[in-house]
Amino acid sequence: MSLPVREPHPSTDVSLSLQFDEADADLLARAFRTPGDGPRAWHLNCEAHRLSLVHGFDRLLAWPSLHGVARYPHQERTCLRVLQEMRGRAILADEVGLGKTIEAGLVLKEYAIRGLVRRALILTPASLTGQWREEMESKFDLPFAVLRSLGDWEDRPYLIASIDLAKRGPHRSAAQSRPWDLVIVDEAHRLKNRLSVNWRFVAGLSKKYMLLLTATPVQNDMEELFNLVSVLKPGALRTYEGFIDRYVGSRDRRVPANVPELRDRLRDVMIRHRRGIAFTLPPRRVHSLPVRLSPAERRLYDDVTDFVRDAYWSASGRMSWAARLTLVVLQREIGSSTFAAAETLRRLAQSPLFGPRERDQLEALQRDAGAIQRNVKATRLVEFLRSTDEKALVFTQYLRTLQHLQRVLEAEGHRVALYHGGLPPAAKDGAVRSFQGDRQVFLSTEAGGEGRNLQFARTVVNYDLPWNPLRIEQRIGRVHRLGQEREVHVVNLWARETVEAYLMELLDRKIHMFELVVGELDLILGNLAERRSFEDMMMEIWALREAEERRAALHRLGEALVRARTEYDRMQERNEEALRPVSEEVAA
Amino acid sequence: MSDSPSWRSFVVDALREAGASVSESDSLLWVQVPEPVRERLDGPARFAMTFDPERVRQFDAELIAPGSYLLEKILSLAMSRGRWDVARFESPQARWVEEALAGAGLAPQAGLKAEVLGMEDQLLFLFSFRTSLVADEKREEFHMVAVAPSIGAAWRHDSGDSEAGLTPAPDLAPPDLGPAYGLATGILRDTTRESVDRFRATNLQLLEEEVRLIFGYFDQTTAEIRAADPGGSEDLLRAIRAERDRRLTETLERFDPRAKATLCAIRAIVAPMARVRLRFPNRTFTDVTVDAWSRHLNGLTCDLCGGTEGPWSLHHRGVRCGRCPPTRAESAPPRGRPRSDTPRRGTRASRGSGRAPARSTARPRGASARRRRP
Repeated sequence: MSLPVREPHPSTDVSLSLQFDEADADLLARAFRTPGDGPRAWHLNCEAHRLSLVHGFDRLLAWPSLHGVARYPHQERTCLRVLQEMRGRAILADEVGLGKTIEAGLVLKEYAIRGLVRRALILTPASLTGQWREEMESKFDLPFAVLRSLGDWEDRPYLIASIDLAKRGPHRSAAQSRPWDLVIVDEAHRLKNRLSVNWRFVAGLSKKYMLLLTATPVQNDMEELFNLVSVLKPGALRTYEGFIDRYVGSRDRRVPANVPELRDRLRDVMIRHRRGIAFTLPPRRVHSLPVRLSPAERRLYDDVTDFVRDAYWSASGRMSWAARLTLVVLQREIGSSTFAAAETLRRLAQSPLFGPRERDQLEALQRDAGAIQRNVKATRLVEFLRSTDEKALVFTQYLRTLQHLQRVLEAEGHRVALYHGGLPPAAKDGAVRSFQGDRQVFLSTEAGGEGRNLQFARTVVNYDLPWNPLRIEQRIGRVHRLGQEREVHVVNLWARETVEAYLMELLDRKIHMFELVVGELDLILGNLAERRSFEDMMMEIWALREAEERRAALHRLGEALVRARTEYDRMQERNEEALRPVSEEVAA
Repeated sequence: MSDSPSWRSFVVDALREAGASVSESDSLLWVQVPEPVRERLDGPARFAMTFDPERVRQFDAELIAPGSYLLEKILSLAMSRGRWDVARFESPQARWVEEALAGAGLAPQAGLKAEVLGMEDQLLFLFSFRTSLVADEKREEFHMVAVAPSIGAAWRHDSGDSEAGLTPAPDLAPPDLGPAYGLATGILRDTTRESVDRFRATNLQLLEEEVRLIFGYFDQTTAEIRAADPGGSEDLLRAIRAERDRRLTETLERFDPRAKATLCAIRAIVAPMARVRLRFPNRTFTDVTVDAWSRHLNGLTCDLCGGTEGPWSLHHRGVRCGRCPPTRAESAPPRGRPRSDTPRRGTRASRGSGRAPARSTARPRGASARRRRP
């Protein structure tokens, strides 16, 4: 509720008195009993205190300590408003791609610098816990841990938890019994229903500050907006009946009424920016480069797949979860390169996870893989790179594929900057600098340049396709982000009649994923009723023995994705309709 | 907290003071620290540091910026050192007493005479404090309070921590700091009272607004549920009340203001102190003291408000402090005797009435100024 601003009046009842630190007595007892450290040390003592004084939230202090974060005025304004006016309780409802995560991290960092946040909890969908941890670490230097066990609630002052895990059983009471300085809820539209376990769990947390992040506060109707605001600040939009009477259109519950008054009330709790024309990202152009595997590669791919399918189904009864995971990895590796699969085949041939007959099979497959010296996809990549003068980021999931590509590309005369998770930080910096300099190709694994500014390039080559679409999106996001001014080219290399061909069918043809803005994909996948991860769904389909069954399952998943995409588009429209009056357009 | 540019010289000085060697190369600062400092910094003995976040990963350089791990450690190192020091002050000016009086607004002028009664070295203490006002925000200040134990006086020291005229002095016999600390904390309370009250009032107001909102929401919601279903579940209403109480507790904690002060360091300064007799135009006099280092005048009391802090101004009835400037009529030179000897408010004769404005920082009259007729 918006209340008139009044000048604070000096209180007349019990006054607040200055409490002197108990440690003062210790200093008084010790002082002058031993020689001091000298006048310079005394002077520096004063200087240390003066420089580190906190003067409220007069300005943002965190910017100089952030890594690889571009400074945008709308984010700076948002952060100051949250700190100064909203006193740390806000719904950050910027449209997708405008950097809500950065805004939340910035607010958290400002509090942490001032010593006002010592315990923070980030609640996200399970699929985003790792991404949040990575961003908080690499960009904000905040040591978050992902919730793994019950003990983490006690031991980890900075914790990221999947909301679905945190709200259940012993975790719920562990989370609610501790006071949190700051709670951040990502994808907060999941709190749209105040009767849901999610809503009750978050409302029951004891917190000083709270940030709710969502690009779509209104998913179906205005009631969801009320529920979202009420978890943050009950009464800010009146009571439920008061809200419905006053702010919801009588015929259509998706349409707001008394908009100016509602806008005033929402301004106290919500910040929403829309991408202005000047802030629209340049378009993406998608280039699909399918290849037909060589006969030897084809044979190996099919043999590996047969092995995986046989073992996968037999494994379900008697083999461990680890063994199943190994099979998934093997299937993914063979989709990347024969070089990536060869090493795993060698290890599995000696593994006790498999019986003697399977180990013989694996040994034979490893010999076949070792005999292949060149992959057709690599040849296609060389052709593509020859055809362009642009700098290109080439991504692969596997180090062995990366090493093979390095050999191939350097043999062809390409200057390559190599980047992978095993490099020390200085070498990673060197790789980025050399790519910015004279290197044409930035050859990278998944760890490629998180939090680094690579927008000077605009071509991303997916040498292989991760089964988790969010990983693909992260790759593209390295160059297609705020600050990119040119059209971005996404080049997908994939072999026909492989899992990757299925992925292309689903992600490119069905939902046009490669043209989405970073962040939209997660919202679409969030609309899937399916609770399993996308990777698990892919494996379940691929492991089916009969081609007819596989086609049918793929079709069903494709249709579900199309519905999710349609639902997302509708949701966008509803938010635009309901929240346009409270939105601010971001200027360049 | 300061912006980055301020940090560079502090960080380099603090590390060097603690015994580290610091050299600059390739726009990075290379630091070699002795073992005790390495332990304090909880890092390697040799490292590179930078103020530029884009260069952080180069040579594994540590970033120095507000909130960065190394800066926090260096601040903590500097704050743990230099917690006491002894210095001697030698005034470079021979006529420092006149200059001190002039600086306090009592320059030689018609009717005012100053006579130095004596001069000797006295021990002063300078206490530095950090105050923190914390609720759901934080505001901090740094204060220095000087204490002259020999005359039982304390005052706010605003002149910074300049080293001019100070030289290292031999160590002191461990003094009893308790009384001086007591005087210093009294001055600090007076100095910060206004900001502490304002902080409290702001939080009280925010608390009132939040509590009103919470009660309004939950009570109204309960009423709406009752109206819609008079025989409805009591469990639901109980849950609503529990949620209301939990929110209220949360809000009370959020807007619970705390005011804390921490003693940072103490400096003992041996400085010449003069006893001076001030003779006023109305033929009264007051004995005051002034030291060569702080040049703060002790012993004067404002005729109007009883305040003890200058700068001072002279008028025909005595002196006024900076908060009570004389009116134009009072500033005019006296034309003759007063028409009546009836004591008036604010005059010497009214002393003992105990009158002092609310929240005055005045000490009890007679405790400081001893003014007599000759």
